[in-house]
Amino acid sequence: MWLYTLKRLLQGVITVWFIATATFFGMHSVPGDPLSGERATNEVIRANLEARYGLDRPVTEQYFIFMGNMLRGDFGISYTQQNREVNDIIREHFPVSATLGLLAVLFAAAGGILFGALTALYRNRLPDYIIMFLVILGISVPSFVFAALGQLSLVNVNNVLGFSILPVAGWGTVGHMLLPALVLGLGTMAYMTRLMRSSMLEVMSADYIRTAKAKGLSPTRIFARHQLRNAVMPVITVLGPAIAAITTGGFVVELVFAIPGLGRYFVQAVQQLDYTVIMGTTVFYGAFLVFMVIMVDLVYSWIDPRVRLQ
Amino acid sequence: MDQHSKHPSAAVVPTLRPTDFEVLGTQSSAPVLVRPSRSYWQDAWQRLKSNKRALVSLYLVIGLILFTFVGPLVWRVDPALQDIDQISLAPGADRRALVVEPFSAWDGVTEWQQSQGQSGLRVADSPNTQSVRLKWDASLTAGGYLVYRNIYEPEGMDSLGLPLMEIENPSQAYYEDRLDLQPDVYYYSLVELNDNGQPMGDYQMVTAEVRRVITVDEVIARNLVDDPSALMPGDEVMLAWHPLGTDYLGRDMLARLMAGAQVSLFIGLLAPLLFVSFGVVYGATAGFIGGRLDQLFMRFADFVVALPFLLFMILFQVVFGIGPGESGIIPMLVALVILSWPATARLVRGQILQIREEAYVSAAKLLGASNKYLITRHMIPNTLGVILVTLTFAVPTAIFTEAFLSFIGMGVAPPTASWGSMCNEGLKTMLTHPHELIFPAAMISITVLAFNLLGDGLRDALDARMRSSE
Amino acid sequence: MSALLSVDNLHVQFATYGGIVQAVRGISFSVNAGETLAIVGESGCGKSVTMQAVMGLIPMPPGKITAGTAHLRGEPFLGRSHLNGKAICGDEIGMIFQDPMSSLNPTMRIGDQIAETLEVHRGYSRSEAFARAIELLELVRIPEAAKRARQYPFEFSGGMLQRAMIAMAVACKPSVLIADEPTTALDVTIQAQILDLLKDIQRETGMAIILITHDLAVVARMADKVAVMYAGQVVEYANVDDLFAKSSHPYTLGLKLAMPSKESDETHTLQPIPGSPPDLFSPPKGCAYCARCPFAMQVCQREDPPAFTIASDHRSRCWLQHPQQSRPVSGLYRRTDEVTA
Repeated sequence: MWLYTLKRLLQGVITVWFIATATFFGMHSVPGDPLSGERATNEVIRANLEARYGLDRPVTEQYFIFMGNMLRGDFGISYTQQNREVNDIIREHFPVSATLGLLAVLFAAAGGILFGALTALYRNRLPDYIIMFLVILGISVPSFVFAALGQLSLVNVNNVLGFSILPVAGWGTVGHMLLPALVLGLGTMAYMTRLMRSSMLEVMSADYIRTAKAKGLSPTRIFARHQLRNAVMPVITVLGPAIAAITTGGFVVELVFAIPGLGRYFVQAVQQLDYTVIMGTTVFYGAFLVFMVIMVDLVYSWIDPRVRLQ
Repeated sequence: MDQHSKHPSAAVVPTLRPTDFEVLGTQSSAPVLVRPSRSYWQDAWQRLKSNKRALVSLYLVIGLILFTFVGPLVWRVDPALQDIDQISLAPGADRRALVVEPFSAWDGVTEWQQSQGQSGLRVADSPNTQSVRLKWDASLTAGGYLVYRNIYEPEGMDSLGLPLMEIENPSQAYYEDRLDLQPDVYYYSLVELNDNGQPMGDYQMVTAEVRRVITVDEVIARNLVDDPSALMPGDEVMLAWHPLGTDYLGRDMLARLMAGAQVSLFIGLLAPLLFVSFGVVYGATAGFIGGRLDQLFMRFADFVVALPFLLFMILFQVVFGIGPGESGIIPMLVALVILSWPATARLVRGQILQIREEAYVSAAKLLGASNKYLITRHMIPNTLGVILVTLTFAVPTAIFTEAFLSFIGMGVAPPTASWGSMCNEGLKTMLTHPHELIFPAAMISITVLAFNLLGDGLRDALDARMRSSE
Repeated sequence: MSALLSVDNLHVQFATYGGIVQAVRGISFSVNAGETLAIVGESGCGKSVTMQAVMGLIPMPPGKITAGTAHLRGEPFLGRSHLNGKAICGDEIGMIFQDPMSSLNPTMRIGDQIAETLEVHRGYSRSEAFARAIELLELVRIPEAAKRARQYPFEFSGGMLQRAMIAMAVACKPSVLIADEPTTALDVTIQAQILDLLKDIQRETGMAIILITHDLAVVARMADKVAVMYAGQVVEYANVDDLFAKSSHPYTLGLKLAMPSKESDETHTLQPIPGSPPDLFSPPKGCAYCARCPFAMQVCQREDPPAFTIASDHRSRCWLQHPQQSRPVSGLYRRTDEVTA
């Protein structure tokens, strides 16, 4: 178990290094250079700027400087907002994205497990049909469409009621978070519902459930003590990828709802080719996602005795 | 044992004829087959046909392919052509236009009959898309006027918004609005200013129902009628037909949806085909050869899997860069292939490893089957189903990715139409012209839905283990 | 003496992907306290389905009991969960299954799984039940029971798991124990230990055992009475001695010939029964065994044979037992005197 943890963490570190390297050389192979815009008006200014950003050195040296800085947790200074460090941007905006993401993951997991179990228990009956229809809808509709439609309907609801039940956009209060988090979690919730349903159906037809029935346990007890725990296992394994999906899905939801999260910043930086911000956030997000996946795997292996004890 | 006497078949011993006890002739020991025997693929096809959802989705996919490839042949409208007469037109909107004389400037004095004798703010001529002419009574005390135009009825001074025009000459008691007029209802308001430029008193308001008009020259230029020489002012002509309306630049939505379908299906079909093929070859090689090569191959696949997918898709788009005149489709295709193959490779490798251990393969080997025979008779037929299902499920993922990237502006470059970029553009006019968002959103959803359902159906039909779990 | 458990004319069918399967087609048997009834037959003949139907374990739908009754101490209980305040499943009737590995919850400790029965039926507290579970594990001869009770199924071997299953099934001292192929998944030495264990527990508690098996050797070792099943019917029902000495159905004969015997000489070769059981989607009109029967007659194709009484506790569903049938058949025991209705 400890060996496994260590192995996974080491693997994660190597992956992050790989991501950082790929990002660095990727960004340095972009045609043109970050200073070719209107800001570098003459040679002197250009030379000064190059010196400021360290662009006058050979690429390999820049790479080692970049990696060294990264190890110290320093991602450099933004190209477009010259007095802002990338670290400040991350520190200021990531908590917003993380809160949104966490809430969305909670929505998705709770809803997915609940609805998945319900559909399996009511298999081929009305609740199953209704929920599975919604699930197919949830899987087929992109998150930005959910976001836009959610916002549109909220505007209409607020108009009809004459007062605002929830704010339409922005950030700050719990009210601001609810709709974006729900919208962001919908796709994943649909996916998890499906997974939970098939997992639950499999568990329901498992031999040990037959044993539990032969023991004369009530359906409620069988559900609570035998089915739920076993059925939830596969859902936990996809939590890692789900976090990744929700985090990246957050980019558009933040865009639509005007939420000052890191995702919106990332998209902006990409559009403005703000190299340091792109590199910094990519590596940061990459590391975050890689370690979230590892965390989920470790939590899973701790929950499942078959993995824990081997 | 009293229960046994109740047993119905034990109660009566029937009397039989002696011939009944004649021994039957030689019997075939082979079991009698009651049901017809069907091959794996026949069986799968039968199951798919009996799956209503899968069948509907199959028709949807066929319809979509027709829409994409036959549609543009039927609906020959250039998706980039701007119809400036009809901007952000809702589907089914009135497209009649009144033929009028070419525009000539207004002197500010002449009025039509309807407003003669009226006082206060009034519309001084038939309001149309050429111009709206406003007239009011000049104020002796005012130092100037502010003219406002709203599309919703203002509810007070605060809701007037920004003025359309500020008139600094108090004796000019008229205004001709020619700014981007649409056939709609406008609320014009007038506020008098004092000498210091401060509003005084309440506003006056007038409603103008703007009518769409067109000149003979414009009719000829747009080629709207066969015989333009017979047109007289006062005649009505029909403007170009846009069955699904137009977007914010006056481009035909139907044509753009078709063009977007080409992008989506190009990415959605070609990318999965490429990366699944590569994954199959990669995974099969690793699985079949095994040993150190397998280890090496799979380690590498693990690395690619660990990369955050969308993040790297975006990064790839940045790195490739989209030059002027390029659509940005090819970079997206390449990025998708580079990042997506490992899942298939893993799957196929696992499948091959599993099949290699199966008893029937050992049996075939013992009977002297060649590698070629094993591959063609056991490996391929037994993995083909899984590969087909993976392929089907990869399509909606690829379409989603394209839409996502185009939505955040990292996908196809304008003016290339894509459902994702159309959604992004539609988002800006969502409140006033929801059709610009809803149509592309619906197309994405229906396409993804169809391929998802088809994938479900195929999986149920092809994979015996997964059967009836849904 | 009235039987402890009796099943009468039970019919079960399943709606499946390919159509309706008539899995059980009119089955009757009974078992007394302290007695062992073996139900024998090849796979798919409906033996497990019969017992699961009695226990109410068949998922409905797709399963359906279309006819028949079951009585415990003379009282009908089919479709009921409790009888006289005691639960049928787990309390009155215990059950163990073929594959102990998949029949135990993989994420629950063995001790907890045994204790659960006691908590539910006897109202024990968790700690009481767990302590009793350890005693039960000792009873089924699991060494270091206290430690083992805290382990998970994957940490047990197959034989150990089956012992744990038995401990679980007998926790509430049931009057009937249904053992569904309890030794099929185990190797031969473990098989013998498990069967001995079952015998011992039966001697101590006086419970009845219904043993489902396809192994005639197990039958010979364990059973008092035997019901031979074929295609959803009991084709022969007899005391274990009569069954082997006076086999009255060609299928029983076939099974015997297909069984390796200890005193086999050179002349005894194993003879498989040719063909395979009929498709129960559409059972044949006549005798289900007709197509595979070496002695088949005209009537067999046409009509399903009734159960002919060979002796007071011996029945056979075969036209060869018809009083008008006079041709001798080698190896088959026939009733010589007149059969009375």
